[in-house]
Amino acid sequence: MPLDTSTYSLGLLRVDGRRWNELRRIHAQIRTQAAADGSSYLEMGHTKVMCVVTGPTEPGPRRGGNVGSAGGAGAASGGQHKDAEVLVNIVIAGFSSVDRKRRGKGDKRTLEMQSTVANALAASLHIHLFPHSQITISLHVLSQDGSLLAALINAATLACVDAGIPMTDYVAACTAGSTSTYAANDESADPLLDLNHQEEQELPGLTVATLGETDRVAVLVCESRVQVSRLEGMLAVGVDGCKQVREILDRVVREKGRKMIQEGTVERGTGLNDMDVD
Amino acid sequence: MASLKRSLDADPLAANISNKIYVRSTKSGKVQKIVREVYLRQDIPCSSKLCQKCLALAPSDAAGRPIPFVLSDAPAGTKVFPQGHYLVPDTNAFLTAMDLFEQESAFYDVIVLQIVLEELRNRSLPLYNRLISLTKSEDKRFYVFFNEFRLETHVPRQEGESVNDRNDRAVRKAVSWYSDHLARVKGKTVPAVVMLSNDRDNVRKAKQEGLNASSLADYVKQLKDGEKLLDMIPETEDRDMIKEKKPGDNLYPEYFSMSKMMTGVKSGLLHQGIFNVSPYNYLEGSIRVPAFPKSLLILGRENINRAVDGDLVVVEVLPKDQWKEPSTQVIEEDAITKNENPDAEDSEDFVSEKERKALQEEVKRTQSKTTEGHPQPTARVVGVIKRNWRQYVGHIDQSSVSQSGQQGRKQDTVFVIPMDKKIPKIRLRTRQVAELLGKRILVTIDAWERSSRHPVGHFVRSLGELETKAAETEALLLEYDVQYRPFPKTVLDCLPKEGHDWKVPASMDDPGWKDRQDLRDLLICSIDPIGCQDIDDALHSRPLPNGNFEVGVHIADVSHFVKPNNAMDMEASIRGTTVYLVDKRIDMLPMLLGTDLCSLKPYVERYAFSVIWEMTPDADVVGSKFTKSVIKSREAFSYEQAQLRVDDESQQDDLTKSIRTLLALSKKLKQKRLDAGALSLSSPEVKVQMESETSDPIDVKTKELLDTMSLVEEFMLLANTSVARRIYEAFPQTAILRRHGAPPKTNFDELANQLKVKRGLDLSVESSRALADSLDRCVDPKEPFFNTLVRIMATRCMMSAEYFCSGTQAYPEFRHYGLASEIYTHFTSPIRRYADLMAHRQLAAAIEYEAVHPSVRSRGRLEAVCKNINVRHRNAQLAGRASIAYYVGQALRGKATEEDGFVMKIFSNGFVVLVPRFGIESLIRLRDLAETEPQATFDAETYTLETSGSREIKVELFQKVRVRVTDQKDETTGKRGVKMELVSTY
Repeated sequence: MPLDTSTYSLGLLRVDGRRWNELRRIHAQIRTQAAADGSSYLEMGHTKVMCVVTGPTEPGPRRGGNVGSAGGAGAASGGQHKDAEVLVNIVIAGFSSVDRKRRGKGDKRTLEMQSTVANALAASLHIHLFPHSQITISLHVLSQDGSLLAALINAATLACVDAGIPMTDYVAACTAGSTSTYAANDESADPLLDLNHQEEQELPGLTVATLGETDRVAVLVCESRVQVSRLEGMLAVGVDGCKQVREILDRVVREKGRKMIQEGTVERGTGLNDMDVD
Repeated sequence: MASLKRSLDADPLAANISNKIYVRSTKSGKVQKIVREVYLRQDIPCSSKLCQKCLALAPSDAAGRPIPFVLSDAPAGTKVFPQGHYLVPDTNAFLTAMDLFEQESAFYDVIVLQIVLEELRNRSLPLYNRLISLTKSEDKRFYVFFNEFRLETHVPRQEGESVNDRNDRAVRKAVSWYSDHLARVKGKTVPAVVMLSNDRDNVRKAKQEGLNASSLADYVKQLKDGEKLLDMIPETEDRDMIKEKKPGDNLYPEYFSMSKMMTGVKSGLLHQGIFNVSPYNYLEGSIRVPAFPKSLLILGRENINRAVDGDLVVVEVLPKDQWKEPSTQVIEEDAITKNENPDAEDSEDFVSEKERKALQEEVKRTQSKTTEGHPQPTARVVGVIKRNWRQYVGHIDQSSVSQSGQQGRKQDTVFVIPMDKKIPKIRLRTRQVAELLGKRILVTIDAWERSSRHPVGHFVRSLGELETKAAETEALLLEYDVQYRPFPKTVLDCLPKEGHDWKVPASMDDPGWKDRQDLRDLLICSIDPIGCQDIDDALHSRPLPNGNFEVGVHIADVSHFVKPNNAMDMEASIRGTTVYLVDKRIDMLPMLLGTDLCSLKPYVERYAFSVIWEMTPDADVVGSKFTKSVIKSREAFSYEQAQLRVDDESQQDDLTKSIRTLLALSKKLKQKRLDAGALSLSSPEVKVQMESETSDPIDVKTKELLDTMSLVEEFMLLANTSVARRIYEAFPQTAILRRHGAPPKTNFDELANQLKVKRGLDLSVESSRALADSLDRCVDPKEPFFNTLVRIMATRCMMSAEYFCSGTQAYPEFRHYGLASEIYTHFTSPIRRYADLMAHRQLAAAIEYEAVHPSVRSRGRLEAVCKNINVRHRNAQLAGRASIAYYVGQALRGKATEEDGFVMKIFSNGFVVLVPRFGIESLIRLRDLAETEPQATFDAETYTLETSGSREIKVELFQKVRVRVTDQKDETTGKRGVKMELVSTY
């Protein structure tokens, strides 16, 4: 079994060989599902998620209460909303973690992640353009190795871009942590970027998402105990990480766009006038 | 549809990412396959001060501080490597010879590979922690090189390659990289990089690859005092040779596999517990397992099967026809295996002739009484989960040394007899027999192979001549794991800068005065033993206008000086308690605090934490208040001085009056406690008087009891109880408390039976009240000491009190049985006990004096602290007693006195006598009674031993006897102890 996170100070190296300010390998693809309105696949290290976006469509019959929803101001029953409603559904595959365990539909953690993702995207998507309609985001978790919420937000952003839903900017997310535990109360703890599963288990951490290139924080979730004095450093590192993530997501989108023009799937100039595709 | 597969291979950086895949099994027996990413990089420095290239790319932390380089630019050389060398040990080198690496004479500039650290951690956590502390020490220059993360040294496991082979290959790869890397340094002589391994195959392969490699023994021989260090290389080096032995040579049954044990324990067929050896019989052990209320017996060498006292073992219950009664014989290892030859191990029978004889007698005895006897279930050890081996203090058995060994420097095999009688003899190979004879030495056990009758160990260091004060004291401290090294600099740095000149700030605006009450005008005094320097507590009382009294207990405010989680706090939490030996005190906190700044010395102002009650004249508490304060003690009394002052009618000053008030109140408090069922227990306590100049022991005195002692004690108990209530109220989950469990009824079975049979007395143990009452009834009008004797024996049936964190127990379990208090904690001695310091912090938070520090609130942390201080507390007590025993032996040296004693335990071949005058007990064996051992008949039912033949006596339990006490150096344990001879039985 490998060493644990306490050896960081020996060589300023983390359990997987990264430095404190390094992201894991991020790999993403968009338009993976030809039949869907928008789709994406994203890996952050060994965390792998798939996303499919359907919509904006007419609101269908409401299903049970286990989807996270946001937007849709003035929620009268029957879907008579002024804004489009963003519905998020997360499915965590039984095989995604080491212990094969089935998470029920009503799992509270999943529900919370659904509503966090829904709120984050509803803030960036121009839902006011699509009254009386709904946008459904289905996320499938294939493999988990930490920073799951961040990966879900990123995948959802990409899929929404692919679906062509107007939005303000990318919502890019990542996690940040600290090199020593809360109880250790180490004054000189370094902040960490992008936690993997082991670090998430042993160290305090938070998930942060920002809007585009700005410093505007769209999501901030911290479920672990950490000294207030360390929070600022963690947040700064996290926000910086989000900018790097945004770069990567942007590159993926542009790359795909370039390929589509090359392959003639879309003509240059049809609706892409102001996008500079090199 | 786009393919999602093989995203990694398409990545241009794929070569830098690898995976670590391994399989682990969980506690519940599930097997999990874990895949972890590994990011390979090229900016991990070699950390040699010679290398400019690495220096340029040294990584830095988030604050921009670069990591310092560790390995010296001019490392020490040896005969073979005159140019200097860096060492790269493999896992086995650390596993077998960690003591070598901690030497001060050699083993500098060591490169610890990540893979080695990892393997070490999986094999032994204590060794891993020792290695980690070596890497943190600045002068040893140990550098951890993360070879698994460096692109060039990362080694993927090949098809069909075992994990060990891969790891060995990784070590060789790292050595070769280091050699190549350093060779590029221009212009200087480059140190050699030497791999250290005990695996011959690995060394051979390394040499084939053109690397410098050496076995530990070969390497040590090159060093300056190599001869001595050679002894520290353990026996297991020759493992390969042992393996070649025929399987028929195995003396002990094989252990079960871990999975077999685990499934057995889970299904309830096997049982897991801590193995304990009987202090009277080294061939009898017992184990307490959760499944049964009484402990299981483990009899005989074969059933004990290489378990050593304290090991966590798994046992199997033996069939009923093998159940036995616990032995009534005293069997001492040295007496029976005295003439064993450590060298010629194989030619001997496994169970020696004498051992067999002892066993036969045992069988005879059991079988003659199978009708009325109650054989106890027995068990045998089938495996060891965790060894609890530590370093043992002992000395070389003179008789095991061959003539040649005493002269030359030839390697010789000898036996080491540990001081702790429960530990078996250890076989040791050494080249310095001549030097080590007659010395106290420290050894560790390395292994206990099936083919070896005794465990094999190696020499660590010598403490000095037997029976010199320094050696014996250090031996004692080591044996009880007391941290006695001087405080490191990091700890001393936490002390106030003013040193002894520190004073309570004069200005009340100073932050130190914040929320502190000014109690300087109160008539406070302290009462302690003579010569006490660390004064924890002081008291005052004064009448109130309404006829009640105000009583205050003021405790040194240690938490003001020791802030949570700094180096001093950490050190104190590890030490746990101050240890008092007869001639020495090992402090928990540095002297400056303990005896000066915190100590509530008279005539100076000191910070204190005060508990103030309003009490009615009947000692009922009307109200209580807790506050941080500043006090000025008027006088520091000794118990005797205070007693004189109180008794002297002519003293009518306010201070004396207030002590008298306190005394009156304390008597009422005590009565209340006794009415509630508090036990007054007893243990034979004595005091060693020392000559003031040479500090040689000259006499032994039993401790006197004064009223003033009980005065202080009562108010401390009251303060502790009040504080316990308050912190429990504030922190229901995390308050640090002390409990004393009610002893299981079965503990008293034997004593109750003995009293019934011998004296017709009933011992009722339903509650502490009933026990206290029945102990009061246990009197013998002719023999006043009888009651004390029974109390001493009852005390030994009790559970020991323990610290715990309130969230871990239900409220009824909080009870302190001995004090008959619902809830209790330790608050009154923060200078010498860490638990009190924690209670201070919790109380300070509870009264909102300061914010709650996370370490005071984290339950996991508190539980760990409790666990540690429980162990330390116990060890400190044992060390203190052992120290007294040693000095009693020294005080009696060369004297012979006749004293009265009492028989407190009786065996079929001897009995134990307690001499209250010296507080010592000793065994008198039948063979000690006369030149030729008399015949004896032992009646276990009536606890009577009757001898005939060479000497005719009749000894009964509780009997008063006359014994001659002399000192005797026990040739086998090397301890000077007392020897008793029976003079008459009255």
